[in-house]
Amino acid sequence: MPSSYARRHGLKPLGAGIGLRREFYAQLPETTRALDWVEIIPENFLTLGGRPQRALEACAERWTVLSHGVALNVGGPGPLDEDYLSRLKALVERVDAPFFSDHLCYTRLGGVYLYDLLPLPFSEEAVEHVVPRVREVMDRVERPFLLENPSYYARMPGGTLEEATFLRHVAEQADCGLLLDVNNVYVNSQNHGYEPRAFVDALPLERVVQIHLAGHERQPDVILDTHGAEVCDEVWELYRYVLERTGPVSTLIEWDQDIPSMDAVLDEADRARAVLAELEAR
Amino acid sequence: MKPGLRGFFDSMEEYFADPGQVDRLYAAHPGWEASRSRVAIYGRLVRHHVNATLEKLFPLTRGGVGEERWEELVRAYEALRPGTSFELNRMGEGFPGFLADEAERRGLPGYVPALARFEWTDFEVFSSMEPVPERVERLTVNPTLAVLEHPFRLCAYVRAKGKGEPAAGQEMALLWRHPETLVTMYMAASDRALLAVKMAMEGLTPEGVASATGVPEADIRAALEECVKDGLVLAPG
Repeated sequence: MPSSYARRHGLKPLGAGIGLRREFYAQLPETTRALDWVEIIPENFLTLGGRPQRALEACAERWTVLSHGVALNVGGPGPLDEDYLSRLKALVERVDAPFFSDHLCYTRLGGVYLYDLLPLPFSEEAVEHVVPRVREVMDRVERPFLLENPSYYARMPGGTLEEATFLRHVAEQADCGLLLDVNNVYVNSQNHGYEPRAFVDALPLERVVQIHLAGHERQPDVILDTHGAEVCDEVWELYRYVLERTGPVSTLIEWDQDIPSMDAVLDEADRARAVLAELEAR
Repeated sequence: MKPGLRGFFDSMEEYFADPGQVDRLYAAHPGWEASRSRVAIYGRLVRHHVNATLEKLFPLTRGGVGEERWEELVRAYEALRPGTSFELNRMGEGFPGFLADEAERRGLPGYVPALARFEWTDFEVFSSMEPVPERVERLTVNPTLAVLEHPFRLCAYVRAKGKGEPAAGQEMALLWRHPETLVTMYMAASDRALLAVKMAMEGLTPEGVASATGVPEADIRAALEECVKDGLVLAPG
């Protein structure tokens, strides 16, 4: 069954999707493989014409397109970027995305974009800072909005809350949805030594509207969230664990580095679709 | 030490301006137990995004200045012109001007600023948001057309993927995005290309040009067709 946040906003599970990446601009719109929806990184389409626009238009004719941003800076200290928000709203309306998403992080300091998803301290002060900004984003774009749990390699100073509590407070007080990146849960649990299933249990799962699955890179002392490999078995298992508690959720295979053939990415999407179907049939 | 979230952001801003100074970041947060090697990942990632983007946008310029000097230039540029646009590629916009300002002081090869401007224009044309009409009522200049002038034969140099140094010589380069393939086309302006652009801009007909110049009309039509095929000008029908 859909989560309560999804139900309130009339959002239905979309199945399994993949990202529209530059490498697939020509191929993806033509594919005959099964694909339920497509995700875009809006920053690649807001100011770049030519091939990206042609690919986006072709995809939007065939599939639901969801926007998953990386530059919203919802956790950052400065005002939200007006130009960015206006363009994002126009794009989301243009592709008629049923909802849109970004990360619970900051990406800009002192007016300078850092082009990375940087973690906030898990503190009440950060919750109080982020919540009105999330509301402002939703008011401006006028579509349901999801925040993604980011990966992080170090706990930032000043943290007073558990990560799951931080996520819960932001999502509940802002009344937004959650995009649960299951790979991030796994990567964070390994990097910070906690039990990923207990973490999932502590989340407001009734707000999960979308899931990301991705690969990572295991280094001797840290796992990097690279989106550059196949989804590992542990993440597939955790994905099942989540779905058993949420019911079917729109699921994306996220691959951003060392991108393989499109068929390889679609194979992963097939696997996600099979898990969704299996759990739905129970 | 500044308290709370404001202090956190200020300390991170200082850190990202100079990721080598990780001690200063820890000094701002006494008792912070995070592993330094983990925190340093963020400094590396932030720097990597800018470096990788400039390398992607300016591959021939990079080759022209050499690896060591390239890294110095990127570091200096990033410090002088940090990214203020959400679109990462915009980082490259000021790079040709920066190289022009720095060329003499750093002893850069004379052609490097012009080459960087060419490479940036290639990207700008490729990603132009200028709408290209699917149909036109009359001969029309491709709205993505950009014109560069420089004292080097850069079109041939770029076509040869930057082997050696470009030959000296004044060049007017035309760059535009092909309306069908959507790739950037470029050429040193030829009489044919300039004629086609002039005809489109001034609404001249092949008959009129033939009559005014004495050039056979068939030759003019052939030149025009070639330019239409290349997408430099758009024709009705």
